[in-house]
Amino acid sequence: MFAIYKREFLSYFRNPTGYVAIALFSFISGVFFISMLMNGALNMSSEINSMRSFFIIIVPIVTMGLFSEDRKRGTEVIYYANPITMFDVVLGKFLAAMSLIFVMFINVFIHMIVTLAFGGVVTSGDWGVTIVFFFLAALFVAMGCLASAMTDSQLISAILCFVFLLIVSLISTLASFANTGISTLLTNILGNTEQANSIGEGLANAINWLDPFAKTQNFRFGVFGVAPLFFCISIAVFFLYLTFRILEKKRWSQN
Amino acid sequence: MIEIDNLVKHYGSKKAVNGISFTVNDDEVLGFLGPNGAGKTTTMNIITGFLSSTSGTVKVNGHDILDEPELAKKDIGYLPEQPPLYLDMTVIEYLNFMCDLKNVKKSDRKKMLSDIMSMVKINNVSGRLIGNLSKGYKQRVGIAQALIGDPKILILDEPTVGLDPGQVLEMRKLVKSLSKNHSIIISSHILSEIQAVCDRVVIINHGKVAAIDNINDLSKRLSGTSKFLLTIRGNADDTLAKIRMIPEISEAKLRRSHEDYHEIELLISNNAKTDPREAIFFTLAKLGVPMLEFRSIDPTLEEIFLSITG
Repeated sequence: MFAIYKREFLSYFRNPTGYVAIALFSFISGVFFISMLMNGALNMSSEINSMRSFFIIIVPIVTMGLFSEDRKRGTEVIYYANPITMFDVVLGKFLAAMSLIFVMFINVFIHMIVTLAFGGVVTSGDWGVTIVFFFLAALFVAMGCLASAMTDSQLISAILCFVFLLIVSLISTLASFANTGISTLLTNILGNTEQANSIGEGLANAINWLDPFAKTQNFRFGVFGVAPLFFCISIAVFFLYLTFRILEKKRWSQN
Repeated sequence: MIEIDNLVKHYGSKKAVNGISFTVNDDEVLGFLGPNGAGKTTTMNIITGFLSSTSGTVKVNGHDILDEPELAKKDIGYLPEQPPLYLDMTVIEYLNFMCDLKNVKKSDRKKMLSDIMSMVKINNVSGRLIGNLSKGYKQRVGIAQALIGDPKILILDEPTVGLDPGQVLEMRKLVKSLSKNHSIIISSHILSEIQAVCDRVVIINHGKVAAIDNINDLSKRLSGTSKFLLTIRGNADDTLAKIRMIPEISEAKLRRSHEDYHEIELLISNNAKTDPREAIFFTLAKLGVPMLEFRSIDPTLEEIFLSITG
């Protein structure tokens, strides 16, 4: 597994992918930090939360080539025909992408050091947001792994990952639409507004339950919990498992 | 040793491999032949664990490729048709990566890599990016990765593609030298190459084994007779009449007549109990007819291949 991890991590720096991702992240986080510095109100939670919004761009860049490139180049045979398991391959590539995200985040750690150096405060909420950042990154990178395993085109892989992340980002909006839509539909069918509203709300709650952003929002207030983190890891493991199954399916495919 | 038993692979309704069985013995070079689409690469991919069969078994040194994949794969070095190379790595980085995958001990690594790189003659490009190498060098790096970990079995799919004639000869030498302590399956469309290095050949067609034997026996089996070409100077008619009286000769005919020599084609029956070549010699000697050439013209591997695969 370590061999795969090492190769994948270093490969980010053998082509522009790693540099572009780090430059993009550093630039955006730098802009946030400078604007806060100029306003004289440094709030690391705010910067880190804002950076989470850019997962939708950065994660597809980081993950698009993980599996699709191997399939396109024919190097996937290396993983099937050598004494390693597909589990090692998936985990190695996932950890390599996570490591790159950690390297990107070093810039934010530097911002924290600067904040402390200038007499600012890094609160427990800031650390909570940092923890959440990495757990959400794990969730999204796992989704990117799946997208990359589904195709041999980096572009399609990036678009798929973008769509996955967009859906997750818009869960609360989708829940709200579902609530309104179902309530209106059922009111027309059943004629009972109260019952229709309660079914709509139930559906919205069910969809909202899947929202990792909502689940982890208390971390910024220093209120930590294991359940939201466990939720993120469970979903990440689920997506990694799907990736593993897709890669195994290729071996067994009869099409 | 590889034991392949009743291997079947379906692709939808098509049977890419349809009940292939054969064995590759220790230290044997087996040629794997067949027209395009016959199922060669699919079979090789199944043997190496890259694909799974629909049914049937593959055992590598006693380890089933599906039940004990890691033990089985440890003994296999595979060079696919398209060498699996990371173009963004240098040769030495790539080979070190392959050492990691094959769990080669750090203490053995330096010597192993040095030996392999000398063997396939890539020492001079070890620090260069694979993407910048010529096709021939890329092929050699592909062979080098197959040799890492000293696997007992080598599976080489078209190993000489992209090599120049000199390199092809070197490759033959390399395969010959490796065959002393490796079992090798080699697939190639260059039949002279197979003839030069292989102990036995398996010819597959439409996913089935069409023939399996050593090349000489295969040619005899196909023709039913041994064929010789005799070139003489002198009277062709008298010579033919006398030669036809030799019991082991089933047929003798004039193939071509030139101004000062004649070519006679001789068919020797498979039922012949004695070697008729001495009798032919003495017959010609008695007639005082000089023999200019006497050679076997058994079917070439190309002819065998074409007659089997249609």
